Formats: sequence, structure tokens, C-alpha cells
Amino acid sequence: MDSVGRPLPGWWHVTWICAVIALLSAACFYRWIMAQSEGNARMQEIAQYVRDGAYAYLRRQYRVVAIFFVVVSALLAIMSFGLEVQHRLVPFAFLTGGFFSGLAGFFGMKTATSASARTAEGASHSLDQGLKIAFRAGSVMGLTVVGLAMLDISLWFLYLYKFHHQIFGGEPMSLESITVVMLCFGMGASSQALFARVGGGIYTKAADVGADLVGKVEAGIPEDDPRNPATIADNVGDNVGDVAGMGADLYESYAGSILATMALGVAAVSFGGMPEGFDNAFSAQLAFLSAPMVLASVGILLSLAGIFLVTTKEGASMKELMWALNKGIWGSSALVVVVASVVIPMLLPASIAWGVVAAITIGLVVGLIIGYGTEYYTSAEYQPTRGIADQAVSGTGPLIIDGIAVGLMSAWIPITAVCIGMLVSFGMCHGFENLAMGLYGVGMASVGMLSTLGITLATDAYGPIADNAGGNAEMAGLPKQVRERTDALDSLGNTTAAVGKGFAIGSAALTSLALLAAYIEEVRVGIHREAVAVYQVEEGAGYNAVDLGFGKYGLYLASADGSHHENYTISTFRSTADHAVDVVVDGKPVSMIVNHLGSSVRQASDDSLIAQLIATTPAGLFDFMDYYDITLMNPKVLVGVFSGVLMVFVFGAMTMKAVGRAAMAMVMEVRRQFREMPGIMEGTTTPDYARCVAISTAGAQREMIRPSLLAVLAPVLIGLLLGVAGVMGLLVGGLCAGFAMAVFMANAGGAWDNAKKLIETGQHGGKGSDAHKSAVVGDTVGDPFKDTTGPSLNILIKLMNMVSIVFAGLVVKFAPEIASFLGMGQ
Amino acid sequence: MDIHLYLMCYRTEALVASQLEAEEFGSYMAVGTRKKTFGNVLFFEIDPTFRSTELHLEQVEAKCKPHPDGTPRRSKYMSLYRVMERIPLPAYGKLYLTTRDGRVLALDGRNFDDEQNTGGPFMYAELCPLTSRLVSHLSPKAFCQRITNPATTVYVPRIFFADTQIELDSDGHLAGYLPYANPSHIEDCLREVEERPDKLGKTVDRNPPLVAFYRTIASGFYLGDSTGIKFYSYPDVASLDADHHEWWRSASMG
Repeated sequence: MDSVGRPLPGWWHVTWICAVIALLSAACFYRWIMAQSEGNARMQEIAQYVRDGAYAYLRRQYRVVAIFFVVVSALLAIMSFGLEVQHRLVPFAFLTGGFFSGLAGFFGMKTATSASARTAEGASHSLDQGLKIAFRAGSVMGLTVVGLAMLDISLWFLYLYKFHHQIFGGEPMSLESITVVMLCFGMGASSQALFARVGGGIYTKAADVGADLVGKVEAGIPEDDPRNPATIADNVGDNVGDVAGMGADLYESYAGSILATMALGVAAVSFGGMPEGFDNAFSAQLAFLSAPMVLASVGILLSLAGIFLVTTKEGASMKELMWALNKGIWGSSALVVVVASVVIPMLLPASIAWGVVAAITIGLVVGLIIGYGTEYYTSAEYQPTRGIADQAVSGTGPLIIDGIAVGLMSAWIPITAVCIGMLVSFGMCHGFENLAMGLYGVGMASVGMLSTLGITLATDAYGPIADNAGGNAEMAGLPKQVRERTDALDSLGNTTAAVGKGFAIGSAALTSLALLAAYIEEVRVGIHREAVAVYQVEEGAGYNAVDLGFGKYGLYLASADGSHHENYTISTFRSTADHAVDVVVDGKPVSMIVNHLGSSVRQASDDSLIAQLIATTPAGLFDFMDYYDITLMNPKVLVGVFSGVLMVFVFGAMTMKAVGRAAMAMVMEVRRQFREMPGIMEGTTTPDYARCVAISTAGAQREMIRPSLLAVLAPVLIGLLLGVAGVMGLLVGGLCAGFAMAVFMANAGGAWDNAKKLIETGQHGGKGSDAHKSAVVGDTVGDPFKDTTGPSLNILIKLMNMVSIVFAGLVVKFAPEIASFLGMGQ
Repeated sequence: MDIHLYLMCYRTEALVASQLEAEEFGSYMAVGTRKKTFGNVLFFEIDPTFRSTELHLEQVEAKCKPHPDGTPRRSKYMSLYRVMERIPLPAYGKLYLTTRDGRVLALDGRNFDDEQNTGGPFMYAELCPLTSRLVSHLSPKAFCQRITNPATTVYVPRIFFADTQIELDSDGHLAGYLPYANPSHIEDCLREVEERPDKLGKTVDRNPPLVAFYRTIASGFYLGDSTGIKFYSYPDVASLDADHHEWWRSASMG
């Protein structure tokens, strides 16, 4: 199809308009927040300390990340332009993904650090005003993430669909190529997210543990006391970990789920057959590609509507505050289902549309179940956490044992929900008859789950803002009534933060199946590209074939009218010695004999023994599974699975060790300041907050590099060593172990934290009691669980997927060579 | 610079001269010039005009001088051991409660002669010179008179103790917010003194760690002997949180 005959589909305008609305709304909320009073001079001073610390951290992190991005972009450029194993736009897609993801985190943190003092000041007027400021600040984060992600997707689609071939010449890009190139910007977003999550997680816990161990335990200084040198770093940590980290994380999940589902939609038509209601494959592909983009775009508007539903009254109880947030989330979710019921049947044929609507609904329900399952296992309102608090009376050991048990048990809700959601959405889209459509359904379920991200992320980001507001109120010595209001907002924030973490992990799991299928799409393109790269057109030759080795062939087929040359490259998965093949050209079977010397002849044959060459474009998933021998009986798959599991454990250990080392540096610094700066405890000398911020920043940057490199390198190395089969095993092992481990760690940590908070309300002796001391130990153990390693694991899962996708071409081309050299088959 | 006299009266019993005001002294004793963990500090302010050769106070002006660099003398120990009993009750001024991180709360004292027996039983934390925790159905006044009665075989010349909380819930168990280490043992002790009126007191713990001590105080602190009692009333939690918020937050840390 030429460029003139390829007008932009009307629905594309929905995507950029919704993205712009999200960003404009975020800008309006930001202006509204900035127009609010930041309180008295002391409040402003404290807020400025936190802002300075947060920016200092971000500047340093972005420097490290920039180096990483330059190096990886250079590698990708070599792969694209030198080795020609991937599309030449991949390095640029990688860069924009990282850039937009980082930008989302930056805007979120900029707003959050500006909002805490304003929330405290708002709470001095009314509870509702405090809630409104904190929640709208969180909304800036939510809307910025979805707005930037959608804008990035929308602009890339515009460029690839409409302009790329006009600028650089050649044929318009196929929708397969468009989707797989766009998928690669997910790696940029994932890399940024990993650094933000791991670095932020290490930072926040190093500061927290340092502040607690020396400030609270040794010096007996209460929480958020300005005499504690680490208290500002602790407040900064809430922002860099839970705001910037969470934002970058969910940006990646959101974009990843949309892009993967777009790729699956296109692939579903390619290898799943043309659905009813379409007269050509292109329009069918375009329709299936449009659904996730349109749904996510509409979800932005409905999230915005939900944000305005969040209000409360003065003196609201905890339940009423929770309801204030829930009515926003539930309202948006219900609206998404209603609107999807109208929009999806307009885009897709009736035979599949209602199945997709059902999958979207299932995705939303699974998201809510995971969120509230997390709340059940981590909130002090319910038995699991209360049970941990009960065990504190018996000592630290029983408390730790019970916390681990609760964390382990808590995995059943999200895992069961994801499993059921996966099966039902698969089935509702006729997956048991048509695998491709089933996978598309699962992808749409993940898009459905994340369609209300604008508001769910707002509730997540609200947590640290309310927490910081409480700290600001305490440090500024605001009246009791204000502190009570900020405490109420903070308590609510603890629950929403835990729910948000569960949601992030759940969405990662559901998205990962779509990404797993999308990986095969990249393998498909990788094989195709490999053939294109080596193919030499022989003028005048009707059919030519190039043996790529390992049973793969590049075939050149001239177009029927001979007016232009079309590289129709296929590969064989099964071939006989005489290389007789049967391929499909323009939908019609063509039999030919490949002579193995670079040419081929068309030959009509009725010989049933002639093996088929299967073209990569219409090849089904099972064809790839067959070719790469991806079965449980293949030791490469099993070794890959074990490697994936091992990755989770090693990565977890590295991040936790990193927290320990960074925290130790902070402990030493806080002790040093107490030792060398007389007057801190009397309140006559201001501690050197900046030094603690710098130590935590340096520690986090230093410590995040090794686990991040591991996450990036492992899929490439496993891929080169064990091939596509090994990578599939790695991704499956990483997904299963990582999902379960992430849920376990996040929930155990959250439960220990809230058990401690429950005791602090006066249960089992309250603060300072032996039970409290045990609970403090549990909380210290749980801190890196829930704020560093647990949340980082879901990015590990996604990043391994993304790295595998981006490096698929390299693996497809070189893994068989390496395996052959090592005598491990192909 | 004025010279103040302070009587440390928990763990270390000492009369200390200082040129610091009470709040500064409390902070200094709790955390030093650099952070050191000494734990909670309780001390009385003593009438600065009080003099006693037995306690070497005639030397106080000579010993408690500013440092050569002009900074005030923070602490000059004038006398150790059995000091509290040798200072007449009228010389005792305010009682200062210092938290681990150096926050100081001042309590005013008054002569205490009303029975105010609210029914008991009571649990007392002896602070000086004894350091036991015990339960008794004797009221604070009766307990003070009993333990300092020279006519008995077991007595001390003067006692400083706190009345601590034994709030029970509807099931007869100690209230959950109380930070005592072995609540069921305390419940047993309470039952025993209630069931045996002839038993004046029952030791709960001979040398308890005063965990989250300031959260356990009931009516307040008592200092007395057979001649009289001084009572330092302790504010309720609402007043502490509202009027002494910083101190109460630190005190709640344990």
C-alpha cells in the first residue's frame, strides 16, 4: 500500500487527543497545587530541604542512567546498523522510551515534593482540603504517566505508519514491523524503571534504616524529628522510591501492555486467520491494533472523571476516607466497562468484540481483586496482620515466622486471580479454538487492568505525599488538629501504597504473558530480518533461495507483474534432504524445490512426502515452538526455567545486600554527626541533612548498577547460550518465581509494617514495649522486602522480557552458531 | 552565673551542682554534649540556698565555677549515695522528667495529705532508694508511711516512687496498651493482694527495666517519709499530647 493510499485511521486522533487532555489536566492540577499556600516559613524551609534532596538524587541518577543509555544505544546501533539483526529505529525507540519514562517520574516527583507542605497547610483548613491537594498531586503523577505513555505511543505510530517510508523511502512499514519496533521502546522504559525502582528502593530504605536505627533506637528520637540528620533523606526517599520509582514502573507496565497487545493483535490476524467482518488482512490488523490504544485512551478520560469524584467531609473516619478514594477508582472502572461495551464493538467484529469486552472487564476485576487482596493481607484491620502483632508478644522469632507465613500465604489471591483471569479472558476470546485470539484476549485483559491507571496511580502517589505532609506538620510543630488530619491522610496513604504495589505486581504478571507472546513476534521478525540481510537478489531470477543454515532459508519471490521486487523471506522449520518446500505467496500455495545452492524452481507437486517450508509471517506460535523445540523435555528450556528462578533469587539477594551496605554508610554518618556536632540533640545546631542525602544518593547509585546489569545481561547471555528455547524458559521461570516472590515480599513487608503500627496504637503494650521492639525488628526486615526488592522484582520480570524482545534478532542469528560450536544442537 | 542544685534520683542517686537551667541540665544528662544513650533521667531541683556540710554544699561556690573558656559548669557532683533522705522535704522543688533524647517535662510538687484512696489495688514503681515494682492495696499515702516507718523491721528513711497504671479490660486482663513485660504475672499478683487483705504488698519484679516508663504513670510521683509526702501530679495523655507534644512524643518512644 503506498503512502498516499494510507490515510491515518480516525481512531488515531482519539489517542493523541486523550494524551494531550491528560497532560493538560495534569498541568492544570499542578498550577492549582502551586497556587495553594505552602504554609509558614518553617514549613517552606522543610519542604525545600526535601525538594533539594530529591533533585540532587534525581540529577545523580539521571547521570548514571544517561551513561547506561548511551552505552546500550551504541550497542543497539551496532546491532541495527552493523549486524543488521534488528530494525534501525530500535536505538531511537529505546531512547524515547527511557526519556518519557524518566520524564514521567521527574514530573511526578516535582509535584509530590511541592505538594507535601501544601497538603499540611491544606489540612490546617480542613481534612477535605488536605485530601484534595494530596490526591490532586498524586493525580498529576497518574495523568502524566498515562499522558506521556500514550503520547509516545501515538507519535511513534504516526511516524512509523505515515512518515517513515516517506522520509527514508521504500515500502510503507507493515503493521507487524510497526508494532515490534514500537515494542522496543518498552526496553527503554523498563531500563529507566529498573534504575528508578532499584535506585529509589535502595535510597529510601538506606535512609529509613539509618534514620530508624540511630535516630530512633539509639538516640530515642521520634519519627520526623528535625534533630535526626537522616530525617530529610528519609522524606526524600519516600518520593524517589514510591513516587518516581512507582511512576517509571507503571509507565512501563502501561506502555508495555498496550504495545504487546497491539503486536499480538496484528499477529493474531497474521497467523490466526482473518476474522469475520473484514475484507482484507490489513484492515483487520489495523482494527485489532487499534483496540488497546483506543481503550487505554478512553480510560484516561474516565480516570480523569474518577479523580473528580474523590472528596470527603470534615472529620471523616478511616472508612469514609477509603471510600472517598474507592468511589473514584470504582467509578472509573465501571465507566471503562460501559464505554468499552460501546467502543470495542465499533472497532472489532461482533464475533470477537464481546469476548474482548469480557476480557477487559476481567482485567479490571483482577486488578481490583489483587489490590484488595493485598489490603486484606497487609491492613491492620484484618486478621493476618493482627495475627503477626499477636505473635510479637511471644518475641521476635515468632513475629518473623508469622510474617513470612502471611507473606507466603498472601500469594494465593493475586496468583489465583491472575490465573483465572488469564484462562477466562483467553477462553472468552475463543483462545481454545484460536490461540492467537486467546492471547490477544489476555493482552486486552492487561490493558483493561491498566486502563484506569490514571486514577490508580494517583492513589499510589498520594501515599508518600500524605506521609511527607505528616512529616512536615510534625517538624514544623503544627497544631494538634492539623497533625491529626495529616495522620489520618497518612494512614490512608499506607493502605493505598500497599494496594498500589500489589496492583503493580499483578499488572506485571498479566502483561508478561502478552510480552511472552510478543517475544515470539520479535523472533518471527528476527528470522525474517536475518534472511533479508543476507539475501542477494539475482536480476532475472524468478526464485532464489539462500541457505541461512540451521534449517532456515531466505527466499526471494518476484511480484506477479514483475513491476517491483518484493523480498518475501521465509524460513523452513522442517525440511527434507531434497529441500522440497511448499510456501504460500499472496495467500496461494506455491510448491518449489530449493536446490540449496541459491536458486529455486517452481514445481507443481502432489508428493505428500514433500515437507513444507513455513513462511515466518503466517507461521503460528506452535510452529515456532516446534522449530525451537520449546518443550519441557528440552533441557535448554528447563535450564532456562531454572535460570529465571535463580535470577529472581540472585537479584533479590543483591538488592537486599545493597540496602544493607547503603544503610550502614548512613548509620555511620548519622553517628558521626551526633558525635562531631554538639548541639544537634539540644536543637541548637542544624544537622547536615544534605550530607545524609548525598550519602544515600551515592549508595543507591553505586549499589543499583550490579543488579541492573544482571537484569540486562542475563537474558542476552542465556539467549546466546541456550537460544530461543532457553530464553522462553528464562522468561517463564522469572515470571512465575518473580511474581510469587514479589507478592510474598511486598505483602510480608507491608504486614510487618502495619503490625508495628497496630502495636503503636496501643495494642500489646504499645510503643516502647517488648512487643513493639519485636515489631520494629520485623518492620526493619520488611522494609527492603516491600520497598526495594519486592517492587523491583516486577520490573525484573518485565525488563527481562523487554531485553529478550530487543535482542531477539541477535539471539536468532547467533545462538544457533554458538550452540553448534558448543555441540548443543542449534 | 547562678548555681543550681539538682538531685538525680533514679539508678544514680547524686546531688549535682550546675550552672545550667533545669531544661538544659536534663538534656545534658540525657544526651551529653554528644549523643550518648543514658536512658531516661529523673531529677529534682533543690532549693539553691539549701546548704549542708554533710553533703559538702559549703564548697559548692568554690567547685561549681565556669570553665576557663567562660562556658558554664554543666555538672559538679557534690555528693553520692543516701543523698535523697538528707535533704529536707521543703527544699525539694520541681521534679523534671527527661526522655532519652533530652526532652524535659517539669512537674510541680505539692504537699500531699489527702487519702485519695480510689480503691486500689495499686502498682508502684519504686525509684529511689529501692527499685522494685510491687502491687499493694495500700493507697500512696499509706504505702509511703508504711515503707518509711522506722517502727517496722523493713523500711527505708525516705521513698521516691511512682503510681503506675493497672487499667483492666472487661475480661479482667491488663489493658493492651500497657507496656509491661509480663502482664499475666502482674494479674496474678493483683489477684493475690486482693484475695489476701492481710498481705500489704507483693513484689512483681525486683529490678524491672522501666520500659516506656512515662507511658505507665498513673496519678503521678510521690516523695515522702513518715513526716510528710510531696506529690507531683502527672498530666493526663490528652494534656501531654496537646500541651507538651514534643516531650510526649519522645516519652512515648520508650
